[in-house]
Amino acid sequence: MDLGDKDKVEHEKSSEDPSNFHHSGISSNWHFESANLANTSTGLVPTGNSMSVCKEDLVGSSSCSSASMVESFCPSLWEQPTNPNTLGFCDINVQTTASTSGALGFRKGLPGSFRAGIEKNLDHGWNPQGIMMKGGMFLPTAAAMLPQSLSQFPADAAFIERAARFSCFDSGNFSDMMNPINMPDSISLYTKGARMMPGPQAILGGNKFRSVAEEDQPQRNEQETVGGSKTVSMSIDHVATEGNPQKNESPRRSHDEAKLGVGGSGNESDEAEFSGGGAEEEASILVCAGRQPSPNKGIGLKKRKRGGQDTELDHTKGVPEQPGEPAKHSSEIQPKVDQSPCSTANKPNGKNGKQGSQTSENPKEDYIHVRARRGQATNSHSLAERVRREKISERMKFLQDLVPGCSKVTGKAVMLDEIINYVQSLQRQVEFLSMKLATVNPRLDFNIEGLLAKDILQSRAGPSSTLGFTPDMATPYTGMLQPPQSGLIQPGLSGLGNSSDALQRTINSQLTALGGGFKEPNPQLPNMWDDELNNVVQMSLGAGALISSQELSGSLPLGHMKVEL
Amino acid sequence: MGGEEDDDDEDEEDALVGVVISRMPPPSSIKKEFLKKWLVGLKALSNSRSSSTSKKEMSVLERKKAIKLSADVAMASLKNGTTSWSRALIQNASKDGNNRTLLKSMLGSEYDKKLRIGSTTTSIMCSKGIRNTTVLRRSCGLRRARKISKDQRVRAGLMAKRLVKKRTQVLRSLVPGGEYMDEYSLFEETLDYIMSLRAQVDVMRRLANASAFSSKS
Repeated sequence: MDLGDKDKVEHEKSSEDPSNFHHSGISSNWHFESANLANTSTGLVPTGNSMSVCKEDLVGSSSCSSASMVESFCPSLWEQPTNPNTLGFCDINVQTTASTSGALGFRKGLPGSFRAGIEKNLDHGWNPQGIMMKGGMFLPTAAAMLPQSLSQFPADAAFIERAARFSCFDSGNFSDMMNPINMPDSISLYTKGARMMPGPQAILGGNKFRSVAEEDQPQRNEQETVGGSKTVSMSIDHVATEGNPQKNESPRRSHDEAKLGVGGSGNESDEAEFSGGGAEEEASILVCAGRQPSPNKGIGLKKRKRGGQDTELDHTKGVPEQPGEPAKHSSEIQPKVDQSPCSTANKPNGKNGKQGSQTSENPKEDYIHVRARRGQATNSHSLAERVRREKISERMKFLQDLVPGCSKVTGKAVMLDEIINYVQSLQRQVEFLSMKLATVNPRLDFNIEGLLAKDILQSRAGPSSTLGFTPDMATPYTGMLQPPQSGLIQPGLSGLGNSSDALQRTINSQLTALGGGFKEPNPQLPNMWDDELNNVVQMSLGAGALISSQELSGSLPLGHMKVEL
Repeated sequence: MGGEEDDDDEDEEDALVGVVISRMPPPSSIKKEFLKKWLVGLKALSNSRSSSTSKKEMSVLERKKAIKLSADVAMASLKNGTTSWSRALIQNASKDGNNRTLLKSMLGSEYDKKLRIGSTTTSIMCSKGIRNTTVLRRSCGLRRARKISKDQRVRAGLMAKRLVKKRTQVLRSLVPGGEYMDEYSLFEETLDYIMSLRAQVDVMRRLANASAFSSKS
């Protein structure tokens, strides 16, 4: 792969590079693109102290021999720790990487263009480094990581590209995203590889990366010539931000979704495809790696810059065509993305805004008329399914609003998980509160308490969010200790034939007497009671039976209580 | 740039909206109604207990069950049979003979009607084998999905579908009467169920706090 690609690249670029690159020395680097490490090494070369020699060697060399020289340098480069010197080459690398990594945005090679050649080469592992070059400091360590990681995985260009993109983002989120759900082996592979990548970045964090990227932007602004690539990147960003910071199993789905969504309008051209492909790549990766718009911004901008670079390089011919497609797709992507943020199953969402189905618009009719969107199957089954899916996604949106903590999470599986957890927690709360009430009120008399409670209920206008569950955990424990005693008192007192009011008063007095004694040990105990509420209560009840006679006198054997509990 | 910034703002807004809606307390009217009905039920319970000849003191667990039952039924009765989960809940409650008195007192004369309506719908669904078909579909779908696919994307997609299905099943088990619903109505029911659960929890918590507070004071 290396040699063949190299040749290709050489042929295509040999004449064009010097004019377009700021550093002629770097232009010769194109020859070595195919070597995964080569590009980064060459990128580093201009600025690295020890690499100055390399640079000279590279300048003016257009043969494979120099490639081999560079390659020979590569290992040494990789072994080097992060060179502060390498940071200095931000400018240089920005441009080189911009041009070369422009390929990052375009996964499916451009037809017959120079970029296509580069991209194909870049696909095989160069990309991650391209991205990392931006961060500067990332490079050596990240690059060092790459060879190992790359060797582990099947030479899946798409995967590597994605993994590279993963590495660009804040690694903090990454494990969260990649981890929790049961994953098939394939996905776990991805997570492994991807996790490896962000390792070095963890040091610097996504923020730094972003800041660096943003620093680079002004430089690139001058170079921005293609609005199309801009829209592509924007569309990428949109797709990424809208669609779905999902967990790992859904990168595929968002992948597909974005792809279909973007390309759904018809596979008009290769550019369309690749922008769609790029978008999908971006979507999947950006989605998985970062739920942060800013990294997307940075990268989107980078992509734009790289796109600019690429056009700068030579491709005025190819370029004008491309913006048209991406622009169209971006506009298509946006409405689609806007309208279906949460459902990952909504594949055919190509042109939601324009030709949306009329399901909700015909309330009077018995049938739901659905118009097939352009580029989608008109099979009745698929139409019906699409309608069904859209309805479900609508419901999911509502649920998203209802279930706390779901606003950012999208994707059916994750949403369902959250919903299930929420429902379970609510049901548990009900159980718990009913237990608490049972212990507080031995005779199920809520009359007086009800009257008082109403006042108290209304006076307590505080936001009693259902999430504030844990603060209540402490109170029931205090309640738990008291009622067993009062519960035992009750039968005794009721036997006296007191009125309910009197009973309540006595109960309250008993409770207060008990409560006063119990207040001190309580704070220490709550932790123990988490799962053993019933057991404890029963224990205390059983133990309390022995003490009931004593309690009637009003004195509390505190010692007893403590021992029992 | 503008587009990206808008996304940021939208995200923040959406987050805020989501937070607001989720944090919004349930309407107090619903809560008041619930409280009323619940207290009615509790009163009925305590009256029945006190008047019963057994004079057996209810254990805490029994009390808890009664409280919970009355709360659930009260909440379900608020819906007046409009939602399927409420109907299913009442039906489940009425299956246990011990609860007849409670239910009667809480629901009044409509109790029998609702019960019959609910039971007929569920029986119809059962007879139509809707539940069976869903179960079958689930199992078949799982089997089909396990075909070996080399494409990782397809595999991941199938995996995702499987996960979704599993979780849908869990959700069905959680929501009363969920076994008989199709996916779409399941979500609607879940929505409604969550809303009412929240109201229920809210009221119960306040009552518990109030009673604890009053007992302390």
